[in-house]
Formats: sequence, C-alpha cells, structure tokens
Amino acid sequence: MSLLREAEKCIANQQVHRGLNAFITPIPRAGQWLDRVKEADQRREQGNSKSPVDGRLIAIKDNICTRDLPTTCASGILDKFNSPFNATVVGQLEDAGAVVAGKTNLDEFGMGSNSIYSRFGPVKNVGRDGQEFSAGGSSGGSAVAVAAEQCYAALGTDTGGSVRLPAAYTGTVGFKPSYGLISRWGVVAYANSLDTVGIMGRTTSSVRDVLSILNRYDEHDPTSVSNSSRRRILSQITSRSISKPLRIGVPIEYNIAELSPLVRKAWLRSLADLQAQGHTIHPVSLPATKHALSAYYVLAPAEASSNLAKYDGVRYGTQSEDPTYSNTRGSGFGSEVQRRILLGTFSLSADAMDNYFIQAQRVRRLVQQDFNAVFNTTHPLAAINDRDAGHSKPGDVDVLVCPTVPSPPPLLSDLTSPSTGSSSSSLYAYVSDVFTVPASLAGLPAISVPVTLAESSPNSNNSDSDAGQVAGIQVIGQYGDDELVMQVGELLEGQRFSG
Amino acid sequence: MLRPWLNSGALRCLGRPRHPSRPLLIHPTNLSSPRNLHATSDRIPLRKQLKQEAKSLKSQKKQRKENEEASRQTWELTVGVEIHAQLDTAAKLFSRAATSTSDAPNSNVALFDLAFPGSQPEFQAATLLPALRAAVALNCDIQRVSRFDRKHYFYQDQPAGYQITQYYEPFARNGYVDLYDYDGIAPEDGERVRIDIKQVQLEQDTAKSQEYPPSTQLIDFNRVSHPLIEIITMPQIHTPATAAACVRKLQSILQACGAVTTGMELGGLRADVNVSIRRRGEAPGHCQYDGISGLGQRTEIKNLSSFKAVEDAIIAEKNRQIRLLESGGVVEGETRGWTIGSTETRLLRGKEGAVDYRYMPDPDVPPLVIGDDVIAHLQQTLPTSPDALLVQLTGPEYGLSIEDAKPLIELDDGARLEYYQDVVDILCALHGDLDKASQVVLARMAGNWVLHELGGLLTKADRSWDAEIVPARSLAELINHLQLKKITGPTAKQVLAMIFEGDRRPVPQLLEEDNLLLRPLSREEYLTLAKSAIAQNPKMVEQIRSKNQLGKLGWFVGQMMRTGEKGRVEAPRAEEVLRELILQG
Repeated sequence: MSLLREAEKCIANQQVHRGLNAFITPIPRAGQWLDRVKEADQRREQGNSKSPVDGRLIAIKDNICTRDLPTTCASGILDKFNSPFNATVVGQLEDAGAVVAGKTNLDEFGMGSNSIYSRFGPVKNVGRDGQEFSAGGSSGGSAVAVAAEQCYAALGTDTGGSVRLPAAYTGTVGFKPSYGLISRWGVVAYANSLDTVGIMGRTTSSVRDVLSILNRYDEHDPTSVSNSSRRRILSQITSRSISKPLRIGVPIEYNIAELSPLVRKAWLRSLADLQAQGHTIHPVSLPATKHALSAYYVLAPAEASSNLAKYDGVRYGTQSEDPTYSNTRGSGFGSEVQRRILLGTFSLSADAMDNYFIQAQRVRRLVQQDFNAVFNTTHPLAAINDRDAGHSKPGDVDVLVCPTVPSPPPLLSDLTSPSTGSSSSSLYAYVSDVFTVPASLAGLPAISVPVTLAESSPNSNNSDSDAGQVAGIQVIGQYGDDELVMQVGELLEGQRFSG
Repeated sequence: MLRPWLNSGALRCLGRPRHPSRPLLIHPTNLSSPRNLHATSDRIPLRKQLKQEAKSLKSQKKQRKENEEASRQTWELTVGVEIHAQLDTAAKLFSRAATSTSDAPNSNVALFDLAFPGSQPEFQAATLLPALRAAVALNCDIQRVSRFDRKHYFYQDQPAGYQITQYYEPFARNGYVDLYDYDGIAPEDGERVRIDIKQVQLEQDTAKSQEYPPSTQLIDFNRVSHPLIEIITMPQIHTPATAAACVRKLQSILQACGAVTTGMELGGLRADVNVSIRRRGEAPGHCQYDGISGLGQRTEIKNLSSFKAVEDAIIAEKNRQIRLLESGGVVEGETRGWTIGSTETRLLRGKEGAVDYRYMPDPDVPPLVIGDDVIAHLQQTLPTSPDALLVQLTGPEYGLSIEDAKPLIELDDGARLEYYQDVVDILCALHGDLDKASQVVLARMAGNWVLHELGGLLTKADRSWDAEIVPARSLAELINHLQLKKITGPTAKQVLAMIFEGDRRPVPQLLEEDNLLLRPLSREEYLTLAKSAIAQNPKMVEQIRSKNQLGKLGWFVGQMMRTGEKGRVEAPRAEEVLRELILQG
C-alpha cells in the first residue's frame, strides 16, 4: 500500500470515528500534508526514504507543543492556546518526514487514568458489542487513534503509566522509555521528574521506528541524557551478556488480591509461553512496591501544584471575565486538576513537607534500590548518582514481566455515574496505576503489549468468544535496556492463548 | 517608666527637615500658626529665622541622640541583614536572553522567562563567575555541590508562580565581612567589628511592575530572571549605624570585586533587615535565629532602598518594639515596610498572613557542581579589596587622608581610583628619581586635583565620570608644571577648565601658545605693585598696622594679582613683599 493510501485511510477513519473523541484537533481532509506524503512516496519508490517514518501519520498528544495546531492540554485554561514553538519531538518527527496527524485527547494536563477529565469530553473505547469502555489515561486519545487506525503511531506522555495503561485497555503497544532519553522540551510539564514522552503503535516494530527518531540528546532539555552518558549506557549494554535463555523475573508483590481473574490468567499464560520458548522464570521481591503508589500520589501532585502555578491568564491562556487569579484558575482547571493541585500544595506546605514529600522521596529511593537489587545489570548512571546507595550484590534477572493494570477497562458509564461518588472513582482510578508507577519512580523503560485470551470468561464484558479478551502485559527492564524491553515485548505481542 | 520623648512633637518632626523646598515647616511654631507666613506685623527676619531653625534642629538632634543612648542602656538591639544584589552578567540565570536595565520593555525575554508551557530552564554557567567572586570576596566556603529550589507565591511579577532560588543548599556559606571605624560603624563598636555571613545564594529577580491607578498594571519582563545573589548575615549587629555601614560595606565589596554593576541608588541592590530587642540584664529571650539563641521575637522590614533608609527604619522599628514592650504588649513575628521620610515602620503582613513558600527542589535544574580549580583561579585573580586599597592609599606610598582615600575607592566603580593611579604613575615618571617624601607630596597633590578640582568641574557641569574628559597625562603634566612653579595655581585651574571644555592641545603646547607659563616678576616689579596698592588704600594699611588684622593682607595680595600681569603674580611672593612694606616699614 502506498503511503498516500495509508494516510488517506487514516484520515477517513478520523472522520468515521469522530464519535470516539480521540482527537481534540484533527487535521483537515485536504491539506499541505497530502503533498508531503506524496513526496515521501516518491522518495520511497526511489529507495531514499528519509527514515522509517517518512510519510507516516503520527498523532501527537495535546500536551505536546505544536506551532501549527493548538495545544490545549484538554484544559479550559488553555482551550484556545497556540504555542509559539514546536516541541523537539515534533521537530524531530517532521524532519524525519513524518506528518502530524492531529492533536489527541487526554486527561487534563495528563492527570487521570481514564481520559474522562477533558474539557473536550471523554475519549471512548468502544467494544465489539458497542459498549463504551474507558480508553485508559491519560494518553487515551493517542491509544484510541492508534487502535482505530486513525494514524500510524502516536506520541503520548507517561508520568505514572499514562501510555502503558491506555495501551493495555485498547489492545495496543505502549512504550515508556528510560527517563531522559527523549527530549521533554515543548512537552507541557505535569511532574517533571517523572514525565517521559511515550510511544504508541499497533506493533512494537512501529514503536521502535519512532523511537529511533526521538532517541537523541537535546540541549534544550536540562534533563536530557548527555551524549557522553549515552555512550556509557551503550557500552554497558553492548558489553553485557544477556542470558540465553532469558531469565524472566516475576515480582511476587504484584500478585495482589485485587487482580482480576482475566488479568491473572493472561499473566500466567504469558509466563508459561515464555517458558515454552525456552526462557526461565524466577520469582523476585520488590518490597517497596506496596508504598510506591502512595509515594507517587504525593510526588506527582506536589510537582504538579508547582508546575501549574504558571497558569494565571496573564501572559497567555484563557482569563476569566473577572480576572483574579482565583477566578481564572477556578474556572479554567477541571476537578481532577484542582484536586491534585490542592493535594500537592498541602504536601509541600511547611507543616506537611517532612511527613509527605520527604517521606515519599525516601520511598522513591527504596523503589529504585529494589529494582537495582533484582536486575543482573547495574544502573549505568548509578555509579555517579548513587554512589552512597550501597546496593548489595546485583540480582539475576534480565527483565521483569507483570500485568500492566489489575483489571480490564471499566465502563465509562460506571466512571461517570452519580452513584459512584467522584472521590471514590478517582481513588479507584489511582489504584489502576499500581503496576505502572514503580517503573516511573525509578525512571526505567517499560512496555505494555497486548495478549489475547481466546476463551470467554464468565464475568466478561465482551461476550464475543471468537474475538477473545485482550489484556496488557508489561515488561520492565534496567535503565538503558530499552531495546531488550522491546524485544521481550515482541515475544509476547499479539499472542493468542487458549483457555 | 514613661519616656517623654516618644510622644513629643519633636520626634515626629524629625523626618521632615529633609525637604529643602519647604523650610518653613521645620519650625514647630510655623506648623501651628500658618498666619506667620504672611502676617507682616510679627514677621521674623529671615536670618533670625534660619538661626532659630538651625538651633532647634541641633537641639532635636541632641535630644534624639540622648534618647537613643538612654534606650541603648536599657535595651539591646539585634539586627540581621539580607542583601539582594543584581549580578553583572550578560545573560539571565536560566535563559540566553540578555540582561538589561535600559532596553525597551519586554524586549529581552525568552520563552522560559515568560513561563511558556513546555519551556525549560537553561542554566547560564557564566552567571556563576560574578556570584563566585562575591562569595570569595566575602570569605565564604564555596560549596562543591549546591542545588536550586522553587519558592512559590502568586504575583504578576513572577510568571512561573515560583522563584528559583537556593533554599536548602546554597552555593556559599560561612563567610564574614569586617567593618572598621572609617566605615561609619557606631562608636561603641570600636575600631572593628566582624559580621558573619550565614550564606550566599543564587536566585532569579522578578519582573518590574508599574501601577497606573485605578486599573492599569504594566509589566516589564526584561528584569525577570536577572541573576541575583542574596547575602544573609548572622544576627550580630547591635546598632542602626553599624547595620547601615554593613550594607554600605557589602555594596562596596561587591562593586570592587566586579560582582555587580549598580548599587542601591540605581536599584541594583535592595536590603531587608530583621530586628529584635531584649532588655539588658534580664533572662535571655526565647527566640533563636541562625543558631544564635536568647533573642527576642524579631520582625522583618522589607525592601529598603538606601543606606539611610536602613538606619532610619531600624531606629523606628526598635523604638516601636520598645514602646510596645514597655506598655505591656508583645512583639509579633510580622513583616513590615518602610517609606522614605517616614518615622514609623508599617505593617505589611501579620504572622497569620505569613506566606508558606512551599520550597521544593526544582526537578528540571541539575545540581551545581563547582570545581576547586575554578575557585582557586578566582581567588588568585580577585581584585584588591577596598580595605586593602585603603591601607595602600593611606600608607607611605600615597599618604592620602582617609577622607580622600575613601571617595577615590568608592567613586565610579573604581574608575576614579584607576585614573588617580595613572596620574600618579605619569607624574612620578616625569620626575624621574624621587625620594619617598617627594613622591607623597606628588600623590597628595594628585589626590586633591583628581577629587576636588576635577570633581568640582564634573559636579558643576553635571557630567558623569569619563576618564577621557581630561586625559590622565594632561592632568599629570599640569600638576607637574604647578609643582615645579612653572605656572601659578589659578593658571592651573584655568587650564584644567580649558581641557575639561575640550581643548585637546598637549599641555606644554597649550601653555606656550596661550602665554601662560610663569615668567617670574623681579623684586622691583613686586615692590611697585605693592606700593601702588598700599597708596590707594591707606585706611586698610592703618587697620592692619594698628589692629594687627593680618587677614587683610590677603586682600592686598588679591589687588596685586589683579593689577599685575595676568598669571605672573605669585601669591606667596606678593605677600612676602607686602609684609615687608606694611609691617616692617
């Protein structure tokens, strides 16, 4: 199929599936992008494509700045905001020949796990029977755009699971790279120390193609990993010996009571499958995991309360009619953003700082040490950052394999119905991040790949037994082991397991 | 114990005599009876009025001094100082935008300066150099690793909603500044007092906002993120005068080491002070600040913009606290403000309104790691300190008085001193071999001419300093001619003025062409001039002789200089001849 036909099909799907609300700003049916795809087709015919993504449509989450399309962050306070500059990742993709396929819907500023907290309405993840499920969040728009073939691949952001969780809910591949590999310049900050740009695709191989374009040092991002550190990471990766067969770690703390039968079965089948492929399975312990979620929900809102202090309507953004700070921020921010700003403001206040923020930072350090203790490679940057950590002898697994999320996607109607009060539903949403948050706290690479259980389950939301049920399986690796994580993801990706 | 001065009108009037345009308001009687301004019947002659006012002012000052001394005997004052100084850097702290004080508003702003979504800080390493120079000059321990934190508060001059500063781990700690008697410290502090510096931190400045009531606010973001250092002293100062001297000294050290461009007068330096008192001889207070315990509850006075404001605000706040405690009240930990010309500090924020800044490590700014080699290099290349310069200028090499040495060091960011040293060097070279004593004579002469003669011309013409107005070589040659008695003093002043106005001829050529070189008069010519002057004024001669009014000799000298050929009559020789004729004749 020509690139042009593929692109036109994506655009047609954007029109057909408008009701899914995946895009806040789609691109017009006819536009300058057409010529660029045609040129890419010519280059491909002549065998000199600019890159693997030359002429491909890539959707961009609407908290990543684009000069040519609005950047709203799904917030009332930026509902008409046009950024004066392109994020580095957008420039990199365009230089590689890719075309921005529009700006995708999200939870406001990336805060949410179901993509329902958007000024532009919730994203819909429609099952085969027409029921509307959560698309996951916060990159739900990117996930649905990929799943419904409205683009070739999409960029999301992942702060605590915001790419992996929607991937698991929509049956797509969602990849969160090691912290600092992809530039954050132009990515609207939610919690800088955790924020990463993530990549979503229908296959790991498409994700890898996009990563190859974005995996570069950027001088504009002070947290971008420098070229010398990249060389250090690379030399460690190339010199290390990946176990043959692979040693797969299974974190026992992840086998929680709340795990749904479907997810537990998918996890077991995946491990059995890896074993059948000749790899070995090893239980490991990550004891700090049980505190990781609480630590995350202290640290991320704390940073958010600071990062979002800039939205006052004075220099840009939407100002309330009576332009006091409190009116502008009160009417511009949605309920979940307000909740997290208040949480963060509290945990940073002088009386709470020691008990919340400082404690959470300690937990974060413990989580990092947990991971360092189970992987058979040392953290390549730990030598300089963490000399005092004194972690004992390294562990013996190459990667960890676990579920991405404890349960299948909830129905949208359950999330928004008045019977489940908004506070209890947000608590439920926080719990869905329990498996994704640890890798975020430690800055590790992680991927969620879809596996299918062909058997129909008794409590199924999706009764079509032929299609089976999809669950997300997560692979987590040591810092810098992004490629290994993708390789293991590929071993499982698209596997169909019979009951 | 009641203290009558505290409520007297005299104290309230103290703040007013600074308005020269309203001199009549100084006198208390004029305050109560404005009729005096117009009524002719009881008009006081101006001279008499001025005398009265001066007398009243003097007694007020004396009273105030006595009152201050009385309160000092009973209460001990404790003051700590915080200085914010704009660093002399080309770029802002976290963006490549240029720093500027005079460019068109909002012309130097990067995306990050305006806190645009998605923008990130880019630390400008070059801003570290002036900051480190300051820390070295203040004898601080430079920290190998320091970090940046966010200080949160909402205000329109703060685009991000937070200021990036160094709260938890500043880049310099444990310094000190020595204050000497010549720095203007209080007499009770003796010859020298050492004030410890707790820490020096790097931080961003805010934007400049201007209010146009009722509803317009203009904001200029050029200043946003201009690099600042904040210097925090320990609470070790016990008099208002020494606090002001401390701020003045810190400014001169910062200027001398090239850390800052402008001082307080141009807004490049601002001071906050914290003030507490405790009764002498009683149990120590219950408060502890920066590791110093036993202090009373302190208040903070923000944003003082002159040395005088520092001193006046501390006096006023101290007296307010004394008044409060003596009437059975309690000092609250509040933030107060000061308006120039006022006599009272005013409440800005009470304790309950205290801002919780929610300090948080900035997750985007990496830690600052400073190598020993950088510190060593800065220590070696640091310019001589003002104290060392003072020792040098008042020492055997230059022999200047402290009164002349201090302005030379402080004026024009050291440019005046550099010029002065150029003049002395050229003078000495013109003279060839010199003994120490004659060198000091030249150095003192040069000091007088650079400071007073040239300074006077600058003041009169209202021009700012520029070493090229009168090139150092020209002034040196002029002084050289004067010193060798080749020209008279009045001629030298006249020629200086000509050069000042733009005459660019070399000094020897100028003197030659304009016929200004001294051709000494003969004794006979002096006698003729003197006799003629005496003959015309016999009465005055008589007064000198009978009443020994020798001061009037000078008048005769003037007469001789006027009647004689211009530039040829030398005053000492004229007086010599006059004495001979009038007193011995």
